[in-house]
Amino acid sequence: MNPMCRLGEIARFTLLALALVIPESVTATPSSSDPSDSLASAERPFVPGGYDDKPHLRGLFGHIALGGYAEAHAVWERVDGATEEAGFNLKRWNLLASSRVGRHVQMWAEVEFEDGGSEIVLELAQLDLELHPGMNLRAGMLLVPIGRFNLAHDGPRNAFTDRPLLATELVGSALSMPGFGLFGRVPLGGRGRGTYELYGVNGYHDGLLLASPDGTRLPEGRGNVEDNNASPAIATRLAWSPAEPHELGLSGFAGAYNRYRVDGVDVDEKRSVRIAAFDARTAALGIEWSGELAVISADIPPGLVGLFASRQAGWFVETTRSFGHGGLRTMPASYFSVGARVEGVDFDRDLAGDSRVQVTTGVHFHPSPESVLKLDYRRSRSRDRFNNSSEGAAVQLSFTSYF
Amino acid sequence: MNADRLHLERARVRPWRPSARVAAPVAILALGLGLAACGKLLTTAPAPGDLFDAPLDGLSAAELAAFAEGDAQFGRPFSVTEGLGPIFNNVSCASCHSGDGRGRPENALTRFSRGTDPARDVGGPQLQDKAIPGAEAEQLPAGVDRSRRLPPPVFGMGLLEAIPEADILANADATDSNGDGISGRPNWVTPPEFLPAHGGAPVVGRFSRKAQVSSILEQTIAAYHQDIGITTDFLAAENTNPLASVATEAADRVADPELPAAAVRSVVAYLRTLAPPAPGTETPARGRGRVVFGSIGCASCHVPSLRTGPSTIPALANRDVALYSDLLLHDMGDELADGRPDGQADGREWRTTPLWGLRVMRAFLNGQAFLLHDGRARSVAEAIEAHGGEAAAARDAYRALSGADRAALVDFVESR
Repeated sequence: MNPMCRLGEIARFTLLALALVIPESVTATPSSSDPSDSLASAERPFVPGGYDDKPHLRGLFGHIALGGYAEAHAVWERVDGATEEAGFNLKRWNLLASSRVGRHVQMWAEVEFEDGGSEIVLELAQLDLELHPGMNLRAGMLLVPIGRFNLAHDGPRNAFTDRPLLATELVGSALSMPGFGLFGRVPLGGRGRGTYELYGVNGYHDGLLLASPDGTRLPEGRGNVEDNNASPAIATRLAWSPAEPHELGLSGFAGAYNRYRVDGVDVDEKRSVRIAAFDARTAALGIEWSGELAVISADIPPGLVGLFASRQAGWFVETTRSFGHGGLRTMPASYFSVGARVEGVDFDRDLAGDSRVQVTTGVHFHPSPESVLKLDYRRSRSRDRFNNSSEGAAVQLSFTSYF
Repeated sequence: MNADRLHLERARVRPWRPSARVAAPVAILALGLGLAACGKLLTTAPAPGDLFDAPLDGLSAAELAAFAEGDAQFGRPFSVTEGLGPIFNNVSCASCHSGDGRGRPENALTRFSRGTDPARDVGGPQLQDKAIPGAEAEQLPAGVDRSRRLPPPVFGMGLLEAIPEADILANADATDSNGDGISGRPNWVTPPEFLPAHGGAPVVGRFSRKAQVSSILEQTIAAYHQDIGITTDFLAAENTNPLASVATEAADRVADPELPAAAVRSVVAYLRTLAPPAPGTETPARGRGRVVFGSIGCASCHVPSLRTGPSTIPALANRDVALYSDLLLHDMGDELADGRPDGQADGREWRTTPLWGLRVMRAFLNGQAFLLHDGRARSVAEAIEAHGGEAAAARDAYRALSGADRAALVDFVESR
């Protein structure tokens, strides 16, 4: 067939598909151009606590919403009686921006200045083409849907000063990758709904082995801005929520990380990383619960087997309870909360050792729902690759707020 | 209702609302109490004598600073992008020496040669069984003499180095002229050319399983090169697999040398000033064990104490060292023979292993013990039973002891 004819056919098919879909989306979305009327916020947020559920979105500046959050830490940490860290850190200062372009396009962005600006990352820059509540297009720098925490991890929303080990040490949160894909929500009777995200992304690169001195570490494989192996990965999350705030999520990720083909010549075996994650959150009797579990498998080159893990796992369960709402006369919007998190990571499931478990408890003061002063105590036990244990503990004071 | 009564009624119904004037002192008090308990809350340090990585007493601030820097370098793992490999055994010094003590059988090294020929043409003298992507790990070639070697403890090396050569030679008796069946002899080694100012003259080897290494600097440079695949200012050419189909260097991602001399020197300073763990408390049973240890002939090779000579580091100079070794080679018989010569040491000879750090070894091996050159013995009693050759008479005497004396002897040794 003449290539031009084929292009024309594809174009006609695409227009037909859009013609079928767009009228549905028009009826499904309000006619106002106000971002608060957007598809993403027509009902409850797509990701509660995530990209479309942040305070700055309520303050409209024309079609653009600007805001962010800051997070300052003070830490005193000791391991086996020796001080590892005692000092202060502007952990994060993040700028958030959102803009609506017409009725069907919305942009979301987040730029992160980490550790006093020593690291600057474009964490989120996604463009949404809103077609229908059940199917929308998303492209750009995406937060990879591996577990719920990676999608909703801002300091003011994080229950404790530190992020869970599973997120920081195993998956590499905040994990964002260039990608393209679909997302949507499906009503499931009453207040229930299901959501899905399905993206093609660049995946991790081989830094997860080659740049890591400590064994397999996925966070070292982030930043694959131009796909290193011309082999996209797949990331997806399915979530079911009978009502806010109850939700169960299942995530999956799979993709090659190494450069196995050069100029059409296979120079290595194709080696992949696979992640499966389960997340849940609920609330009962005024107590909020959430947790995640993730298992990772990675193909390891034969020369590194035994030193680099082919299997990893991590989990956390955390609970919080708020109290004393309006208890301070001078701060009527304030309240307190207490919480605890129990978590563990196993960096090498092929080995006894190379793991860590820790418990964190905290008392937090919220001057307003957007700000929180956290006082946390953390106790941990780490095991090295010889399976020798060491005890760690930390007192952390942090202040974080949206702006 | 008078004003006072009205005030009381209001106080009853009003919810508790602490003001900042109340909350702030309470918070400060709570914080103060918390800080007061921080010693326990924030973990406590083990006693230095229970560690393999504590510094010697009496070091100066500058020596302790060098110790701290060397400690960091010793623990530093290398990634591929930092120079690891291309062929190697492990990623750091500390990843073989658990807590700076002995290793486990899983990370034992395989040394191989053809007689005294280090077999460099087929990848000797050490098998590098790991490789970064793009390089080929070595396979043990046929027809070579091989020996499995457990990574030894690294504490106390500065004390061993400071013992004058003459004092080591004073215990040598290569021809067994005194007829006691013990014929210790030194391993005279020629320092390799990569050592600065080596001069080429043979010196007494005192480190490693067959005393084939003469200095901490030599051991450190060679370990970086052979074990981790890290080139240094002293030894700047990569270790290669000569049997690989593709040149090993082609896989290397970092220009050589990968580590400056300063980093190597800091590790040497660290190893030189690592203190041996403190022995256990003396008990009547251990006192009895000490006597038995001497009476059955163990102390003929495991010489209880040697004395250091002058040193630029005052903490190392002119002090008695309870190492329980003569640092000499002894024929240990078929039981322990590896059949592989190393320098002047033949395939049946081993350097007398210092008996120290045994009290806390299990704390750094997850409750286990791995003794002898390849970790085959899981207890001191098993290690004694494996002795042969010159030690056969002492072993037999051990077997003839009463149960109580055997237990006292083992308890004494394990308290070192």
